[in-house]
Amino acid sequence: MIQYNTFQLNNGLNVIHHHDNSTQLCALNILYKVGSRNEDPTKTGFAHLFEHLMFGGSENIPEFDLALQTAGGESNAFTSNDITNYYVTLPANNIETGFWLESDRMLSLDFSEKSLSVQRNVVIEEFKERYLNQPYGDVWLRILPLAYKEHPYNWATIGKEISHIEHADLDQVKSFFFNFYAPNNAILVVAGNISLDETKRLCEKWFEPIPRRNTLIKPYPQEPKQTEARKEHVYSDVPVNMIVKAYHMGGRLDPDYYASDLLSDILGGGKSAAFYHKLVKEKRLFSELDTYISGDADPGLFLIEGKLSKGISFEVAESAILEELEAFKNQLVSEKVLTKVINKTETNIQFGDISLLNRAMKLAFAAFLGDINLANTEIDHYLAVKPETLQMIAKNMLVEENCSTLYYHAK
Amino acid sequence: MTLDRKITPPFHTIEKLSFPSYQIVEINKGLNLYALRAGTQAVIRLDLIFDAGLISQIQIAQANFTSSMLSEGTKSKNALELAESLDYFGSYFQTRAHADDAVATLYCLEKHLDKCLPIFLEALTASVFPEKELDIQKKNSLSKLLVNEKKNSYLCKKSYYQKIYGNTHPYAAFISKEDIQQINKNTLETFYQQYYLSGLKYVMLSGEFNTDKINLVSQAIKNSGLQKNENTSCELTIESNPGNYFIEKSDSVQSAVRMGKLSIGRNHTDFRKLQFLNLIFGGYFGSRLMKNIREDKGLTYGIYSVLEPNLNGSSWYIDTDINTKNRETGIAEIYKEIEKIKAEPIPQNELETAKNYYLGSFLKSLDGPFSLADRLKIIIDNKLSDSYYPEFVSILNETTSASLQDLANKYFDTENIVEVVVGKK
Repeated sequence: MIQYNTFQLNNGLNVIHHHDNSTQLCALNILYKVGSRNEDPTKTGFAHLFEHLMFGGSENIPEFDLALQTAGGESNAFTSNDITNYYVTLPANNIETGFWLESDRMLSLDFSEKSLSVQRNVVIEEFKERYLNQPYGDVWLRILPLAYKEHPYNWATIGKEISHIEHADLDQVKSFFFNFYAPNNAILVVAGNISLDETKRLCEKWFEPIPRRNTLIKPYPQEPKQTEARKEHVYSDVPVNMIVKAYHMGGRLDPDYYASDLLSDILGGGKSAAFYHKLVKEKRLFSELDTYISGDADPGLFLIEGKLSKGISFEVAESAILEELEAFKNQLVSEKVLTKVINKTETNIQFGDISLLNRAMKLAFAAFLGDINLANTEIDHYLAVKPETLQMIAKNMLVEENCSTLYYHAK
Repeated sequence: MTLDRKITPPFHTIEKLSFPSYQIVEINKGLNLYALRAGTQAVIRLDLIFDAGLISQIQIAQANFTSSMLSEGTKSKNALELAESLDYFGSYFQTRAHADDAVATLYCLEKHLDKCLPIFLEALTASVFPEKELDIQKKNSLSKLLVNEKKNSYLCKKSYYQKIYGNTHPYAAFISKEDIQQINKNTLETFYQQYYLSGLKYVMLSGEFNTDKINLVSQAIKNSGLQKNENTSCELTIESNPGNYFIEKSDSVQSAVRMGKLSIGRNHTDFRKLQFLNLIFGGYFGSRLMKNIREDKGLTYGIYSVLEPNLNGSSWYIDTDINTKNRETGIAEIYKEIEKIKAEPIPQNELETAKNYYLGSFLKSLDGPFSLADRLKIIIDNKLSDSYYPEFVSILNETTSASLQDLANKYFDTENIVEVVVGKK
């Protein structure tokens, strides 16, 4: 059970306090409610590039990392389709340094041309390192536009193409900052060995003076229901063939979200799962076969991804997957299997909660979704899943009309 | 009163680090169980450390295959039954072969330990290495190998270790297609008998658990029949081949670069200070390499230097994936940084920042049960004292720019360096 308190500052900043006196550390986690889904389709990759700029100096503090490291702290950040999340950990007695740093870069960046030009290059190298210079690295860049025709999940967080990053300019940086990086568009979690009173005092001192801003979140198109199977073939210099099947599923608050998550675990999670046991081991059609969900706030994807064994054709491999899915639709999952995946989920949650930072992020993300209590009640949602629900979801979701398939051919 | 945001809030430097107490229980003569309780979650990690690392194998791929085949079936359970029986309790069982040892780990909730422990121990003590499962694993690892061989960073790493330790050194024992083909049930069973069944080094239990679990684990291992290793360690010869090596990969948009040399191990008196020097040079985000090559010039997404101490040989290297067009500039900058840290004393403020950061990072790594267990393993493996980590406070306080410069000249000498580049000509 993660205990927490919440309060709101006058400028609209929502604060969550989580006390843990078993640690000597303190963490600040700030979630800004902006991700790649809020980008202009002609200027993609910007939310992520912007995340890099947040470390390039703020109005009063030229070097973010230097100031933090001097106080014994560490920080990092990530950008997703839905959010941009920053975190700092420090020795608990130095946490005020974190407040000073985070509040200053929420107040204003120093918008330096040099920082922009360097980080553009760094992000372009990141693009190459992770997506272009790796076998199968571009799978995600290809499956998204196939699965999403309208919704901005159409492009990956890194961006559609390098040229979008090359063209980012300082005006874009400024308007993005003053629109999205507002106290009223953020959630701050203060976690660790710090009292509620001290948290309030520091929040009022450092964050409350930052003015509320007019944040405009432009509506973006939702994805219409897919009605026919989509297929794409790619040929590349990779050693073995790979297949990716992406099915549309519910968003993070959809009542079926938890069941879909369990379904992916039942089919493809671990060595006792049906896919591994039957298709990797028994029939030896794949060398690897996994299932996972994208976990996005808006309706996301349920994915099946497999590397084919040498000499196995796409036809044979794919029909074997479909056969397993059919079998699943025609027979209720046993209580034993259901208990197994719920137990695994419980273990994952418990192990995840060991980390102070994980707890802080979980609280922030739950609050972002609009139900902070989710940080504690997730397990109840999993426990409530019935075999009938799983079967119904499989029947509705795991159909070809709802699927985009990528055939990645070894040249 | 208006807030002056230009003024840094006061902060404290870390004056004390502590390593928590842990219990040592003798399971059998000379065989210890180390139990370390920490954290708030009722979870358990149980590690069995075996003498079954790369250094013990007489045939390449033997250590890796033996370790990964342990979950593939026992006298009474086939692979699926074994997986199902642990999965049912939401537990995980992992085996890994490392350079100097192999570790089998059970992760589970405390409440399920009594049910999971017998299954875990059965997998370790009654493994049968079925031919069919072995055949599947061989095929699948071949497929993984083919993917790895397409990665510049993999080729670079492989070549680096072969040049730095010599082709025949176990640390350079990268698997080839032929090695996989030569693996058979017999070679694995031989290795298993000697280095698992009679090769247990020690056991670590970490997490938050009731003390009765210590006895439960100790008894179970005593009864399992696993024997302590009595092997004396062999002498390994290192045959370095310094020089510049280039592997052409014409289709790449980036080049992988790794350069380095042999270095000292944890028991050397200079080691902790050298670790600190390495931090300043390339070991954290505020390091010289990162600041110059990423944050100032934007030539890479990341660049690090690493001091990698093993029990039978250590090396210090710099690792990056770099923009091919500016590759030569990047490499030249790395050498410039090496020369600079040798020629000029480190400025006081840079030293202070690095010191505070380093102590802060220790505070973090000494927080949480599993991170602590990892530190404890280092202490046990290297026969260090429990004050090894806490002593960093006084060591860093005594370290001066002058002494770091001496170390740089002693250990960052560019003679005898191995430099490997993989990429487009």
